[in-house]
Amino acid sequence: MDVWSSLMDGFATALTPMNFLYAVIGVILGTAVGVLPGLGPAMTVALLLPVTYALEPTSAFIMFAGIYYGGMYGGSTTSILLNTPGESSSVVTAIEGNKMAKAGRAAQALATAAIGSFVAGTIGTALLAVCAPIVVKFAVSLGAPSYFAIMVLALLAVTAVLGSSRLRGFASLGLGLAIGLVGMDSVTGQRRLTFGQPLLADGLDIVVVAVAIFAVGEALWVAAHLRRTPLHAIPVGQPWMGKSDWKRSWKPWLRGTAFGFPFGALPAGGAEIPTFLSYVTEKRLSKHPEEFGKGAIEGVAGPEAANNAAAAGTLTPMLALGLPTNATAAVMLAAFTSYGIQPGPQLFSSQGPLVWALIASLFIGNFLLLIINLPLAPLWAKLLQLPRPYLYAGILFFATLGAYSVNLQAFDLVLLLVLGALGFMMRRFGLPVLPLVLGVILGPRIEGQLRKTLQLSAGDPAGLLGEPIAVGVYVIIALILAWPFAYKLFRRNRPATAPAGGAAGLATDTDDTVHSNHHAVYSDHKEQP
Amino acid sequence: MTSLTTGLKGRSELGVALLLGAAGVVVFLDANGLVTPYSKSDPVGPKTVPFIVAGMLVVCAVLLAINVLRGGKGEAEGGEDVDLTHPADWKTVLPLAGAFVLNILLVDWAGWVISGTVLFWGSVLALGSRHFVRDGLISVALSLLTFYGFYLGLGIALPAGLLEGIL
Amino acid sequence: MTVVVGYVPTPEGEAALTQAITEARKNNTTLVLINSSKGEATVDNRFAQEGDIHDIEQRLASQGIQYLVKRPVRGHDAAAEVLDAAEEHHADLIVIGLRRRTPVGKLIMGSTSQRILLEADCPVLAVKAG
Repeated sequence: MDVWSSLMDGFATALTPMNFLYAVIGVILGTAVGVLPGLGPAMTVALLLPVTYALEPTSAFIMFAGIYYGGMYGGSTTSILLNTPGESSSVVTAIEGNKMAKAGRAAQALATAAIGSFVAGTIGTALLAVCAPIVVKFAVSLGAPSYFAIMVLALLAVTAVLGSSRLRGFASLGLGLAIGLVGMDSVTGQRRLTFGQPLLADGLDIVVVAVAIFAVGEALWVAAHLRRTPLHAIPVGQPWMGKSDWKRSWKPWLRGTAFGFPFGALPAGGAEIPTFLSYVTEKRLSKHPEEFGKGAIEGVAGPEAANNAAAAGTLTPMLALGLPTNATAAVMLAAFTSYGIQPGPQLFSSQGPLVWALIASLFIGNFLLLIINLPLAPLWAKLLQLPRPYLYAGILFFATLGAYSVNLQAFDLVLLLVLGALGFMMRRFGLPVLPLVLGVILGPRIEGQLRKTLQLSAGDPAGLLGEPIAVGVYVIIALILAWPFAYKLFRRNRPATAPAGGAAGLATDTDDTVHSNHHAVYSDHKEQP
Repeated sequence: MTSLTTGLKGRSELGVALLLGAAGVVVFLDANGLVTPYSKSDPVGPKTVPFIVAGMLVVCAVLLAINVLRGGKGEAEGGEDVDLTHPADWKTVLPLAGAFVLNILLVDWAGWVISGTVLFWGSVLALGSRHFVRDGLISVALSLLTFYGFYLGLGIALPAGLLEGIL
Repeated sequence: MTVVVGYVPTPEGEAALTQAITEARKNNTTLVLINSSKGEATVDNRFAQEGDIHDIEQRLASQGIQYLVKRPVRGHDAAAEVLDAAEEHHADLIVIGLRRRTPVGKLIMGSTSQRILLEADCPVLAVKAG
């Protein structure tokens, strides 16, 4: 079956009244959590994992996909109206977006963000539909050695490239891998790290881990540092754009999409780097460079498009290879596992209708977001007036409910609290949480591939290099790991340049001026009363 | 800030290094205790990966300790609702954790409706809301709603506990 | 001897402030401006921005009025904050702005002005916008 007819079948499934309803629920919920402080798409999907017990997988994933895309839209709304980027990917949107809003152009900023997101999301999803089957075709020919190498690459890349401190990233990854070890060894049946506790024999449920780290840890962390002084939302009417706004927006949308998709699809691309790249590019190409820093519409249009295209890109390795590269994709992968669906290249053949319905629902979700969000923007801003005691108590309540409903064991709640405390500690000391969650999810699969590889080579470690792709991937891994040292050497030979700051990963390949802007955003809102 | 408090602050991150090291040692000891007859079909065995993970944790622990002693510092995570200018507010967090623990103790015995009410009510109060009656009503409503929602919608029977027969 | 005004950045709040200034000048008393927030929500548009407060302070200073600006954020509602301030500063007048509310809205939300009117120990002057 070719892409087109599969996709049409997908639309047929996604447009049944029930599935369409879940798509609507998903995008509304997603936008709401994107707007609400403290909640993000990853946490929301984690909190909703219990629905996997009752819902058809197709409906559940359609809803999750809506939450994922909706979260991006909602995030841009708060960046523009409040100057509080909830996620690192909307930091850049806040730079120009909030300036525009302060200058009375909130409606245009929201409009270019929403329409740009729609354009980028639609193109990105189309690219996903075209690219994923090609990746799959290539991936099914790979054997265990290549898989092992690719998964190791994904883990190390996320750990080493994202975040401000590699060391703390690796510490987090180590903890995640250790958590992933808990339970019965699948090959020999031996119990590892169970400490004689029979309840641990099946391992830690990924639902419990994800909910603990994303929801409980976050709620406790925010509770400890709750912002007491209220912020001001810039009032906004119906988003709209004039002719000149359209003229200035459409090229940045397309360029942003071109930056976003490939970076999203890379194992450690994420959405931060393409949004910064897009911003820098638009600043250079703009006919109104003097407006940058004062609210240039290109500076909202480009990064917002890049952000959404990256979201679509992220789904490519997730669906085609079973490799999650951001938090939401990781939790969605956990949902696959809780349905007993094996993620990986075989997903397209074994669960074809599900995957294509999911992709079709992304197109539908994008369209829904556009028609729902343009008129509703003022309403979303009202959500920010929700009293926060209810918000964070609600997160704890539903986290508890979700974790408890997995096995109906109070023991899981103890784990939830312990891992939640771990999540709190990680946020306090700057350990990124994503490597931990990826370690828990990918760790056992990596071990499985390693054992399969060496089983095939009868214990000869050379078997790891048995496929050319594997060798290539190891070279890339070596480059990623060696990069900071090489970079240091390079810097040492040219001491005149500015020292790399905390976010070395970003500072290395983005303009320094953008970087200082990025800090300005944060210091800006710290200084607010 | 006095030098004493900065010293203490620096030391608190050493606790992370300690935790990593301890985790590494535990993983190592646990794996070391496994009895594995050599098998041709599984040359890697269940020990190898734990050993690697243990090694990684210990190395991270040592490097982190060095990093902290040299003045390195983890950047606390910011956020929309997070104000890092004031220190951790334990007066909020501890009662919150208390409500959570109370829920764990109560859920199997008293049932979800009661324990969930305690959890939500306790959390809302810990977070500073002062509408005792309104919050109580919301808590009860939320617990009842989720109890029936899970039962009727998802087919999951949360424990009724003390209210068995009434619900 | 003071005039306490409950200020919010709305037309009613502005009207109340203007009236309070007149009263303070007439009686040559200190003006105490209260702009509070419960601090519960992320966004509270009734909590004035730093810039607005700065403008108000300049306006008061330029008119030669002795003033005190208080912006408590401690979880109390606006009525409690105004009443607290009135007691603390021995107010002989409280000035508040009134806004139109539907009966249903009043039933659900309660009324700040009503509480101040009923519980204050001194005269209360209520003004409308425009």
